[in-house]
Amino acid sequence: MRVSGPPVDVPSDPGRATAFRIDGYARLRDYAVIGDGRSAALVAADGSVDWLGAPDLDSPSVFAAVLDPVRGGRFLLEPEEPFTVARRYLPGTNVLETTFTTARGSLRVTDALTLEADGALGPMRELQRRLDCVAGTVPLRWSVQPRFGYGAHRPRIGRRAGIPVAVSGADALAVCAWDAGEPECTDWAVNGRVELGQGGRALLAIPFAHQEPLVLPSRSECDARVEQTIAAWRGWAGERSSEGRWQDAVLRSALALKLLIYAPSGAIAAAVTTSLPEHVGGERNWDYRFSWVRDSAFTLDALLKLGCPAEADAYFWWLMHASQLTHPRLRVLYRLNGGGHAPERSLPLDGYRGSRPVRIGNAAGAQTQLDTYGELVQTGWLYAGAAGRLDADVARRLAELADFVCAAWREPDSGIWEVRSAPLHFTQSKMMCWVALDRAIDLCERGLIPSRGSARRRPARWRSARAQVRDFVETRCFSSVHQCYTRSADSSELDAAVLLGLLHGYARPGDPRMRATVDAVARELRHGPFVDRYSGEDGLRGSEGAFLACSFWLAECLARTGRLDEATALMDDLVGLANDVGLYGEEIDPATGAFLGNLPQGLSHLALISAARAIDSIAEAADG
Amino acid sequence: MSAWGTAAGAFVGTLALTTALRTASELRLTRMDLPFLLGTAVTADRARAKALGYLVHFANGELFAFVYYAVFLAIGHAGWWLGALFGLVHGLFAGTALVNVLLPLVHPRMGSPLTSAPRVALLEPPGFLMLNYGPSTPLVTVLAHVGFGAIVGGFTTLGSG
Repeated sequence: MRVSGPPVDVPSDPGRATAFRIDGYARLRDYAVIGDGRSAALVAADGSVDWLGAPDLDSPSVFAAVLDPVRGGRFLLEPEEPFTVARRYLPGTNVLETTFTTARGSLRVTDALTLEADGALGPMRELQRRLDCVAGTVPLRWSVQPRFGYGAHRPRIGRRAGIPVAVSGADALAVCAWDAGEPECTDWAVNGRVELGQGGRALLAIPFAHQEPLVLPSRSECDARVEQTIAAWRGWAGERSSEGRWQDAVLRSALALKLLIYAPSGAIAAAVTTSLPEHVGGERNWDYRFSWVRDSAFTLDALLKLGCPAEADAYFWWLMHASQLTHPRLRVLYRLNGGGHAPERSLPLDGYRGSRPVRIGNAAGAQTQLDTYGELVQTGWLYAGAAGRLDADVARRLAELADFVCAAWREPDSGIWEVRSAPLHFTQSKMMCWVALDRAIDLCERGLIPSRGSARRRPARWRSARAQVRDFVETRCFSSVHQCYTRSADSSELDAAVLLGLLHGYARPGDPRMRATVDAVARELRHGPFVDRYSGEDGLRGSEGAFLACSFWLAECLARTGRLDEATALMDDLVGLANDVGLYGEEIDPATGAFLGNLPQGLSHLALISAARAIDSIAEAADG
Repeated sequence: MSAWGTAAGAFVGTLALTTALRTASELRLTRMDLPFLLGTAVTADRARAKALGYLVHFANGELFAFVYYAVFLAIGHAGWWLGALFGLVHGLFAGTALVNVLLPLVHPRMGSPLTSAPRVALLEPPGFLMLNYGPSTPLVTVLAHVGFGAIVGGFTTLGSG
């Protein structure tokens, strides 16, 4: 796909406006992501790697120009003449191919974070950038500007065996260049330039080490590893099922989701970045490099539907293990290594286009969110459905979660959207409490979780609590004036999250109240393909864009409630909103189409997979 | 010093260590479960893993106890306090090298810092000092090993009559 913009001068200096950058910042829509299941990098359309956390997704950054083009660090690589850009992922992979076209020639750059090589000694982490001149002549320059620790630490740059190496504390990276010009070291960067003619090839490899010696690869090893990486991704993608009307979007979403899976533990991050703003210049900037229990049911459902049983197993095991210390209480989010403590603090970076503060850690982790209990029990229910059984420890804990819901459902909470205003009785939270109890009753009736606990028969207690929750929702959370479920008890505000009540089984598709709610959300919160999260206050200043997951939820709900044509049209629109390489952020500015929030956003891709599969399935059933 | 005393001490010490870790787990102090970690090296079935893991764990207890015994013999001293000191070193070794570095390398279902896509681990790695399994894990584990060492040291001396 082609990135729009006329041929322009080479973008280089922060403060300079080009077709690709404003004041040094690329558009969020212009980022592609590459990863290896442990770390991930953002690559801008102009060829600059502007984000890389290493050695892990949630580690401090090595490159963070997306948050501060002066202090953040980057790996710049661009033609020295005006250029246009076309990009794609190599089919079935998370390996990015960027083609620069200048007046005199065309150059293809292949970017990959390479995967673990079986049996071979490879670097702990490795970014490879392969250059192939496909036509004419292209002069280009490159500059590796590492700034470890979110830009706090300027590295010491020297040479080891003639190879430039940047070191900071326990971290080190080397700049291995083959046919890419002679690397020049300065106090700040390793720079090079080269002119490649047709058929010319060059390679830049950045091996990274943390708390161990650097492994300096040979060119042939690098070539073999990138080929192995491409083959491994294709092998994985080839085993996924991605049929249907939006199969390309579903497969790309699956590949994006796989990049968010932290392979050493099985945890799934919400996004690979921190503090990309929900409103440019605003304060809604959060760290999403954690795993949210909120996303668990969608995640397990998607993994099972995509044919990823190993990932589903690992994720569920990790989730139950991570939540063990606080059981039966759940934390809203967990670190990728299973820890529950994610204290929030601000970094001295400018933030994306001045969007401060830049935060790491997430204070939402300490909030009470009752919906998480429903999502976790639903996850266990899905897992049991796929596996046909539950381990005794897991079964006991799921039952205890339902017991906990019986006691806790009357409390107000911060809700799925983690509002920073006073806790309320959020409708979606109550609906998910109902789901928790309903699924626990079902598992118990099937003999998969124990029916006795604390010397009492559980099912009767769960049924009684389930009826009370439903009574609360139906009497306090439904507005007869607006004819819809409201955002919270006794309010008149709307919340797209109540659509999850339909998607997770609180209401049946034929339920008139839920049908009316779907209509109300479509009428009040929808603008074209965009859907706002909610109306009303949330304790934060400023506005935000339209939340993409809500749009996909609405599409799925429209289909489930019989409006198949409308759902299909909305899905077509939404699939068209992806960026040029098929990725979604968290939100979109309806006025400009600009991406907002962290990216790639797992919840957006999960909602796409769920909606696409549901609509396809409903359409198939309708066709008979 | 008595080898039989060491063998008995290893059994009782492992029992005490396992009970201490399990109690700490019930008290929400740690997610560490050594028999589970060992058992899942053999099977992905949780219940079977725990049963097998206990057997391997007790065998390991005997093995480590006889390493203690060898050192007791070499230096010509034994006792509960010396055993406790060995247990301290053993606990630190377990947290920094044995379980953190060596186990992920040989455990077929455990992730390591090198595990990458498309593979995915079924068990999260313990991390330095096993901190991934909870902030109290290093303290609990080291104390449990100190107890193990003290029991082995004490039984070794008792056995000598």
